[in-house]
Amino acid sequence: MFRHLHLTKLQWLGILKWSLYGLLTLVVLLLQTVVLTQLPVFGVKLSPLPILIVCVCIREGPEKGGVYAILATLFWCLSGADFGNLSVAVLSVGAILSAVLCRAVLTLRFLPAALCCLAVSLVNESLIFVFKLILPPAVALSNYWRILLPTVALSMLFMPIHYALVKLIGRIGVQDDL
Amino acid sequence: MKKHLSAKTKWLIVAAVLLSVLVTVTSAMKTGGWASRTVQTILTPFRSASSALVRQVERYYDYVFRYESLQAENAALKAQISAMEENVRSADSLQRENERLHQLLDLSSKREDYHFASAYVISWVDSNWKSAFTIGKGTSSGIHEGLVAVTEYGQVVGLVTEAGTNWATVTTVLDSSLDISATVASTGYNGVVEGALATGSEGLLRMNYLPTDSVLRNNDQVLTTGSTVYPRGLIIGYITDANFDQTGVAKYALLKPAADLDDLEQVFIITDFDQQ
Repeated sequence: MFRHLHLTKLQWLGILKWSLYGLLTLVVLLLQTVVLTQLPVFGVKLSPLPILIVCVCIREGPEKGGVYAILATLFWCLSGADFGNLSVAVLSVGAILSAVLCRAVLTLRFLPAALCCLAVSLVNESLIFVFKLILPPAVALSNYWRILLPTVALSMLFMPIHYALVKLIGRIGVQDDL
Repeated sequence: MKKHLSAKTKWLIVAAVLLSVLVTVTSAMKTGGWASRTVQTILTPFRSASSALVRQVERYYDYVFRYESLQAENAALKAQISAMEENVRSADSLQRENERLHQLLDLSSKREDYHFASAYVISWVDSNWKSAFTIGKGTSSGIHEGLVAVTEYGQVVGLVTEAGTNWATVTTVLDSSLDISATVASTGYNGVVEGALATGSEGLLRMNYLPTDSVLRNNDQVLTTGSTVYPRGLIIGYITDANFDQTGVAKYALLKPAADLDDLEQVFIITDFDQQ
């Protein structure tokens, strides 16, 4: 059926890999908006999608991963995320810089990836919080410690699962595992 | 580090920032709504399916683990119903008296006619700073912006703030962006109810601009006063606490929402009502 496309086996594997990343993104988005919003942990709604986006970007590098990060954050934003327009810039740039940092200074292992995920997630949530502080109806400053920090910390519980899944998908079409 | 930033990577960073600005500008100018509506329309079947799956799992869980607690709740509700029936009986006599007074004053009693559209909740906004959810029906079912969502008991849930073909976003009463003109049923004090999310009292509502000398009691019912948006007499919540505001010249009351927003499955949108 697809013979006339003249794609190589490697290209087919590339399509499969990015389709799986897309599917994983959709599943995590649904988990975040349908399930986790109804099951707050210690009174906060968890946000695992930014962590997945950073994980994929670190795994796939700043160029391919960067394109994915921009598309994924744009999709999240258009799906109705609160302050999603800010996340398009912060999450995408954060993910790209994390990928560059991991390749240039750190290693492509779990701990550096986890630190980058934590940092990007914290910066993204903090910037949104700053806008929430400024714009009416302003939120109370105490919510930073009471809601924001637990949200970021507890969302990091998804990091090992995301990392393992991304590592598994990232192996498709690659001979030497990073 | 700098040498690892290729030209393509730099372009991607610039593109991300520009895209963010573009989304902000188009949403501010309300010209980019089509993109969001398209994505939400595509996502709606997935959200509906996930939501239905979650509901099935919850029902199975409740059946297995919550049978005894449901039996106790059932017994308590039966007692509550009998108490309410007693109230209704006494209210009947008051209503008859009221009707006689209306006739005496040659006033016709007017009744608001509600038309409903029911819809299931399919997803919630994943932010700790906003309280809103998406329902699986939209403009194709007559739902548009500015309609009120209630429970089957006539308790206010929120307001439709965005609508697409097969979806609509309902911002709940807990969100600080909604202001509802309200009255305390027992005493007639008027005020404005808004979500207390921003003030650090999550899960509660705040009724502002109450008179300084108002006497407020716990569990006093607060109803909508009626406007072009909110029909009169819908239950907003019950008073749990009261105090003076920062100015010291007006009182405010904290309310527990009448609608159980944590356990919301289905809502009813009032698509039309008699505004007289």
